[in-house]
Amino acid sequence: MSQSKTREKTELFTRMVAQKQGWVLNPDKEFYESLVDGLTANYNRYGYYLCPCRDSEGSREQDRHAICPCIWSFKDIPQYGHCYCALYFSPEFAASAKPPASIPDRRYQE
Amino acid sequence: MNLEHLPVVHKDGPRNDHDIMIFALSTCGFCKRALAFLDNQGFSYRYLYVDLIPVEEKNKIKQELKDRFKENVAFPFAVIDGSIHLVGFIEADWRLSLGVQP
Repeated sequence: MSQSKTREKTELFTRMVAQKQGWVLNPDKEFYESLVDGLTANYNRYGYYLCPCRDSEGSREQDRHAICPCIWSFKDIPQYGHCYCALYFSPEFAASAKPPASIPDRRYQE
Repeated sequence: MNLEHLPVVHKDGPRNDHDIMIFALSTCGFCKRALAFLDNQGFSYRYLYVDLIPVEEKNKIKQELKDRFKENVAFPFAVIDGSIHLVGFIEADWRLSLGVQP
């Protein structure tokens, strides 16, 4: 099992992903923190950052596309303004101040 | 669907005009939003965090929901009055299905 993650380490991870991809972290502090807690819990039970809003299919191999940042983020963020779990926003969506809403899960559509 | 042996949480509120069962993930932000919405609207409801139960039980529930509603299971997954289902949390849809004024 990989070394466990703290909430602080997960926050750093999300900041690095957002910076690298040119995304913005969910500006709603409570929402953001709940996702960081979810990611941390997933890392500490599965050994990888499974998307907090997706269920594990049973193995890292089966979950590989849903490991944060999930492969569908790269389509969802341009299309909907945020990723499936709403951790990452496009800068434009963040500037609009609109609240995120659940979007279809591409995991079962592609 | 027999959930009697599982850690289903019952929340009591002043509104009992619908039978509401929520299948959720303990890690998911939209699931938390959905439960908070029901709390704020005063609904009585039940919920189950499916990621915290044995995997065989979880897979059985997901398969039953999929067979019954002909839809892939994503979370939150709400079953209202045993017949209507909602996938994900889009507040406007939940308001409409539960008869909550915008």
